[in-house]
Amino acid sequence: MKTTAYARYRRFEAVTLLVDFVAAIAYLILFLLFFRLIQLPVTGNGEVDLANLHQAFVYETLIGDITTAKLNTFLSLLTLLMIVTIPMLVINYKKLKKMTIYELNEYSISGKFVQGLISLFAINPISAGLRFYNSFVTMQVVKGYGFKTFLTTIKPWFKKLFEKKPRIVIEEEEDDPETIALKKNIRRQNVVYALRMIVTYFFLVLMALVIIVPFYWMVVTSLKTFYESTVNQNPSIFVSLADMQWINYKVVLQELDFGRYLANTAFVAVISTSGTIFTTILAAYAFAKIEFKGRELIFSILIMTMMIPGELYVITNFLTVSRSGFSWIGNAAGNNQYFLTMTIPFMTSISYIFFLRQNFKQIPDTLYQAARVDGCSDLKYLTRVMVPIASPIIFTITLLNIFGAWNAFIWPRIITSTNPIEGQNFWLISVALRDASFNYPGGDRIMYNLQIAASALVTVPLMIVFFAFRKYIMSGVGRSGTKG
Amino acid sequence: MIRIQNALWEIRNWFRGITNAVADFLKNHKMGFLVNWPGWLKAIVFLAPALTLLGIFTFYPIVNAFRLVGFVGYRVIDGVEQATGYTVFGNFITVITEDNFILPSSHTQSSVLINTLIIVLISVPLSVIISLMVAVALNSIKPLRSFFQTIYFLPYVTNSIAIGLVFAYMFRSGNSGLVNRMLSVFGVDPITWIERGATFWKAMFVLLIYGTWGALAFKIMVFMTSIQGIDKQYYQAAAIDNTSKWRIFSKITVPLISPMIFYIVITSVIGAFKTYETVIAIFGNTGAPAGATYTLKTIVFYIYDYLNVSAPGNLSLAAASSIVLFAFILVLTLIQMQVGKKRIHY
Repeated sequence: MKTTAYARYRRFEAVTLLVDFVAAIAYLILFLLFFRLIQLPVTGNGEVDLANLHQAFVYETLIGDITTAKLNTFLSLLTLLMIVTIPMLVINYKKLKKMTIYELNEYSISGKFVQGLISLFAINPISAGLRFYNSFVTMQVVKGYGFKTFLTTIKPWFKKLFEKKPRIVIEEEEDDPETIALKKNIRRQNVVYALRMIVTYFFLVLMALVIIVPFYWMVVTSLKTFYESTVNQNPSIFVSLADMQWINYKVVLQELDFGRYLANTAFVAVISTSGTIFTTILAAYAFAKIEFKGRELIFSILIMTMMIPGELYVITNFLTVSRSGFSWIGNAAGNNQYFLTMTIPFMTSISYIFFLRQNFKQIPDTLYQAARVDGCSDLKYLTRVMVPIASPIIFTITLLNIFGAWNAFIWPRIITSTNPIEGQNFWLISVALRDASFNYPGGDRIMYNLQIAASALVTVPLMIVFFAFRKYIMSGVGRSGTKG
Repeated sequence: MIRIQNALWEIRNWFRGITNAVADFLKNHKMGFLVNWPGWLKAIVFLAPALTLLGIFTFYPIVNAFRLVGFVGYRVIDGVEQATGYTVFGNFITVITEDNFILPSSHTQSSVLINTLIIVLISVPLSVIISLMVAVALNSIKPLRSFFQTIYFLPYVTNSIAIGLVFAYMFRSGNSGLVNRMLSVFGVDPITWIERGATFWKAMFVLLIYGTWGALAFKIMVFMTSIQGIDKQYYQAAAIDNTSKWRIFSKITVPLISPMIFYIVITSVIGAFKTYETVIAIFGNTGAPAGATYTLKTIVFYIYDYLNVSAPGNLSLAAASSIVLFAFILVLTLIQMQVGKKRIHY
């Protein structure tokens, strides 16, 4: 009985997730369609008119005329819906994959019901209905009765709630002074404990606010008008859905070329990370498992170089890649290899070799010996045994390295500044954030709404990856104690 | 079908025969190591990619930095090195005695060494103390712990330029900056933090706040992990004795994680010495508020200034100043190691 109900629960959950998935895709497509609709105002000579970005405008579409305010509202709503739907989808999917029947309890009933309410709020009645239904299936699994029986239990429950409990009076004996003192002491301890908890939570919330406020202010400012963000002496703390200026992002992506910079950065991150993973795995394996003379010596030399500041390398590396070395840069326009210069020097990392070696060392040697007896070569052992065992760590390293490449600033900036005009096409996002011009036309006032929108554009992908793979990153950083 | 299979099998056996013959031949002629690779050959193959890259981009630069320091008027024209002379300490003396390196000159009123030391001496203790407090508070609660932990970790995964721009925006002058607006709730008049007319300490304050903000995440995470690694028996014994919270903190928690605190202090001192991106994110390429008579440049900023302007001898000066930075870091690390040996409990 229970197992059939549980099978039903799983089936319904899978269908719900499918509906959620379709909904999420639909939101995304709609968002992109509406975002494409946004038109940048153009001046007489065909350039984008930054001064009049936030004019009201009427778009003619298949579903009738849409004003700018309406369009902004749609985009904001769709974003909200995505923020609600996608995490719920991912969390439920992960849960469903690992779940066993023993994990269902009373709380999962109400949990499912609340999720149904959230789906209802996210304008997804199908998922909501399925979730409500599924909460009763859960009840079947946990309590053994269904919806009808549940209805009959409501009344007695209410009755019980409003029934006055007969007060049980125990005739207390007169306590001796010692007991009274003890009771007082206990009471005082409870008060102190409660106070301490209040203070602790107050401190933690305060610190969390300190951390969160810059992010919040970034998102809010990126959706404001130029007047509101830069000129107004009293910028508002909230932005209503209709006032969110999604056009800022469009300007930053298209007009200020951040689309290209994001693509550049993603490309560099992927290439240099795959190189790093390849070289570090091989080197860490050699240092962990292969016996050879001078292993400890070479390894300790590597560790010692970790102390030397990176600025020392940059000077010579700059000479190495320019015309006195590989001549990757510093040539006439068109002959420069910016991407090579930005990836090759970062294709290995001593700290990751160190980190990975520690993990490889924990894998017992008997496994290695057994594999050797069976005629397994080192490379095969590495790829078939070591890498799968250490895959969580390797994944962590991959993520940290991608973050490092995404945030790279000094080296790309030096490289691209050798030829400022051509190099601009090869800027990475951090360089672009610092050096791109966000000035208001005909003046040196910075258009903060655009600048901060660009910042948000750089930060949001990082946040998404972080929240998706939170556990890997946090455990990796906590355990390694090394900074990437 | 079977005929094809047989044919393939024949071919395979034929190749096997050849490889075996080659292997036997090699073994008979003292080249058996090519067939059964000994450790050193395997190590060479496995280490080759990493060590080649490290050799070109890590070890050679270290050697070369000490070579560059020996030149006077070094420059590279069309890929050919040129130098007007040689020296031993000349470049170091030039760097150290130069305006703004150690002693502030008359017109700037600040030097990169003083700036760097201020950042090290204030932001490191501040961030260590705050993150220790947060980690202990976080460990004493159960509900919402992982939620708070996630939030505190956010600064670690952000782009320091992007958030630096946001900080600069938050500290705008007048009432348009968020910080000034919050302060006005408490009746504080608007302060000019980082724009034209800001004083040294106000601009430095913003820099310190941002540096500390960014440094918290990593430290909280490491302290959390190490506090969770402490054996619960110590706390249970303390609870039986009704020990006060402060005593538990100072006599159990801190001593038991002192190696980690020590490690964090070393790494963050080194990190603070290398402050660069925070300055450039908030103050731009000039490293100072507009029209200021001082700069907020750090030692690293100074090195890159040499690198950005191509004049004869500048690369040698950049190398010299980076070696000076390295020396500072080395000396501090050694001092801390000596102190740490005595201070670490157990």
